[in-house]
Amino acid sequence: MSALFEIHNLAKHNWDNGDQASKYIFSQLSAEITEPERIALIGASGQGKSTLLRILALLDTPDEGDLLLDGASYKNTNVRLWRMGVSYVAQQAVMLPGSVEDNLRMVSKLHGLAYDSVLAAQLLKQLGLDYLDLGKQAADCSGGEKQRISLIRSLLLRPRILLLDEITASLDINSTQKVEELLMDWHLKEETLLIWVTHDLEQARRISNRTWVMGRGELQDHSSDSFFAEPVAVLAQKFIQPVKGSL
Amino acid sequence: MTLTALSFTLLFVIGTMLVSIWQKLGLEKDIAIGTIRSAVQLLAVGYVLQFIFHTGHIVFILIIIFTMICVASWNAAKRGKGLPGLVWRIALAVTASEIMMMGILLGLHIVKATPQYIIPISGMTIGNAMVVSGLFINQIKQEIRRSKGEIETLLSLGATAQQAMQEVRARAVKFSMIPTIDGMKTVGLVQLPGMMTGMIIAGANPIIAVRYQILIVFSFTASAAITSMLLSVLIYRLFFTADLRLKL
Repeated sequence: MSALFEIHNLAKHNWDNGDQASKYIFSQLSAEITEPERIALIGASGQGKSTLLRILALLDTPDEGDLLLDGASYKNTNVRLWRMGVSYVAQQAVMLPGSVEDNLRMVSKLHGLAYDSVLAAQLLKQLGLDYLDLGKQAADCSGGEKQRISLIRSLLLRPRILLLDEITASLDINSTQKVEELLMDWHLKEETLLIWVTHDLEQARRISNRTWVMGRGELQDHSSDSFFAEPVAVLAQKFIQPVKGSL
Repeated sequence: MTLTALSFTLLFVIGTMLVSIWQKLGLEKDIAIGTIRSAVQLLAVGYVLQFIFHTGHIVFILIIIFTMICVASWNAAKRGKGLPGLVWRIALAVTASEIMMMGILLGLHIVKATPQYIIPISGMTIGNAMVVSGLFINQIKQEIRRSKGEIETLLSLGATAQQAMQEVRARAVKFSMIPTIDGMKTVGLVQLPGMMTGMIIAGANPIIAVRYQILIVFSFTASAAITSMLLSVLIYRLFFTADLRLKL
């Protein structure tokens, strides 16, 4: 039986850097995910975490290597079907023109599906947005509201893999907690694989059962239980502090 | 108007060049080149038109219109450097617009099927289509840069290129139409259009001149809308890679 998701020798060049010694943002990245897991992706800034997520969502292209979803290479898969299955939620939430409801209805509009208003209302409530006037212009929402609306918009797609790029960075503690609870619950119910970029090691410990560490162009794969056996402060010193001479 | 009388109008140009020299604007060379080029081009076109009007042969009319479309397309395509196949796409949009306009005007006998009508009206509508095409291309590039996040958000939700570009295209089409629509709203109040003015100076009845001007204004608007919308359909895919990623 093929793995759910595979990354084979993935590499991305740093075209802005003429220095041959550091011409890759990352290279030879490999990982295999056999079942829906919760993966925390950590590392210092500039190590290519967001680039990796964008590549996994096929919003950016790898320079080398392959990605396989259910054993099928991205090269032989319809890119739209891939993105419907592997959905990227950006750090900077972008609201589409129109109201909050227009944003929530976008997935059903794009794919000609029925709008699941019950699920949308439930997700809004779980994320503490049930007070929101759905007719309000989405562009007028606060940064935190936009971030949560953007997450709900992607959840309504019901992707098999969710790529979360520091989605709680602009949220307060209360909202962050709600997002974490919702996603843990969603993961269990929908069996969605989560790959979650975060700089908050406490959050990484809370939400993950597996930890990927990116640094010096490589990816280390750990079980979260063993990885977080060390104190978070020590781990932060090791893995989150900017790497000398890094990109 | 005699050639001697016409040559006196050079006094305006000479005056402008003297001001440029006096104020050290450095425009003398450009003014001189522009003056010579416009005089030579217009006089040459005058003789060509005289010949075509005299023969009235359809082939010559088609050659003139073909040349107009080629020059207009090539000129408008300069706005979109780096976009492969842009020239022929503009040419296709402008040609379609020209065929539809002329089809209606000639088919409904609104104008006579003679070179005197077909060539000037075609020139004006193709010229306007060229301006609209240039504006549209400029604007869609800006819109894409400004709306990169919006387009990528839609792509990440599984949108097609067409779906991802729908809003951006609509905004660019709307923008490219603004000068034409504004011109339509203020025509006669702010400016008296060139064709109408020319006809009146040449001795035509102002009411007849105005009727032709209305025809031109409507043709302008229709050709601008057709060109811009058609072009938006023809070029949006150029901004994406084969695997549906945004190029810019």
